[in-house]
Amino acid sequence: MGQIYRIAERTIEIDALHQFIHQHCAAYKVNGVPDFAVKTVQADIDFEREKSEQGDRSAGRPIRHYSDDYLETLAVYRKIAEKMLEYDTMLFHGSAIAVGGRAYLFTARSGVGKSTHTRLWRELLGEKAVMVNDDKPLIRITDTEAIVYGTPWDGKHHLSSNVAVPLKAICILEQAPDNSIRPVTRTDALPMLIQQTYRPAKPAALVKTLSLIDSLSGCVALYRLGCNMDLRAAELSYRTMKEGK
Amino acid sequence: MKLKKEFIPYDTSSESLLVPVSGAGFSGLVKGNKTLGVILGLLKQDTTEKEIVSAMLAQFDAPEEVIAGDVHRALAELRRIGALEE
Repeated sequence: MGQIYRIAERTIEIDALHQFIHQHCAAYKVNGVPDFAVKTVQADIDFEREKSEQGDRSAGRPIRHYSDDYLETLAVYRKIAEKMLEYDTMLFHGSAIAVGGRAYLFTARSGVGKSTHTRLWRELLGEKAVMVNDDKPLIRITDTEAIVYGTPWDGKHHLSSNVAVPLKAICILEQAPDNSIRPVTRTDALPMLIQQTYRPAKPAALVKTLSLIDSLSGCVALYRLGCNMDLRAAELSYRTMKEGK
Repeated sequence: MKLKKEFIPYDTSSESLLVPVSGAGFSGLVKGNKTLGVILGLLKQDTTEKEIVSAMLAQFDAPEEVIAGDVHRALAELRRIGALEE
């Protein structure tokens, strides 16, 4: 028998081998009848270990060794992400921050500075800026809008809030000596949006994911930001995206 | 030969993409023009390089050697990433 959590408007029972996942998700604990359940077995943990080691090998870096209880948190999120597609909800890799009831999502390849940029927003805007999720938010697509959700899988600094905020814009970050921002078309943004979205293992689920990405790209403003680590980068992106579509 | 079911073709207004599922052995994206989209469409059924070239000749106004070269390069790339079942 697992414990019950409410994440991205779904009530989920998590039945795990290790206790750590329950600490990890503590801020989302509720009582109630689950919409669905996820259960992990040792093979799921072994799969995450193999995947992580494979990633390290392809990147040419030393193999990192993780504990079973940490790897189980990844296995649980993978199962949740696959199931959430049935609710028009997908897992996206990016740093999401909310200001004035609207969320802005920054995405980029690893190491470009998503978290650094949202930290600059927090420096610029103080308490007006609320971190939705610094690493792996969930996004639900409705007929009219996209909503971004805080989740317990929120990056190494654990920056997130258990909130749901309409998503106003997605911004693709690139490092640059000088700051500049421009709106981009769906076609321009799509490859990066696809790269940064969790891709399921089943072909039918991937087709659904691509359809959600297509809808997402049609209901939010899209930008490309070349930026350095100066506070002026945040001033530029905030001012432009706030005034945009 | 045909496209493996783990690779999903996806067309935007100006280009064609090929997106693999998680665990397909290739984690990137293949991007190409609409010609690639047509080739990917033909590869949904079991076919041969010769049949693809014939089908492309019927659709595009270009010399056969140009089309044959484009098809050959596209198939070589798809083979390289493990997207073809032969």
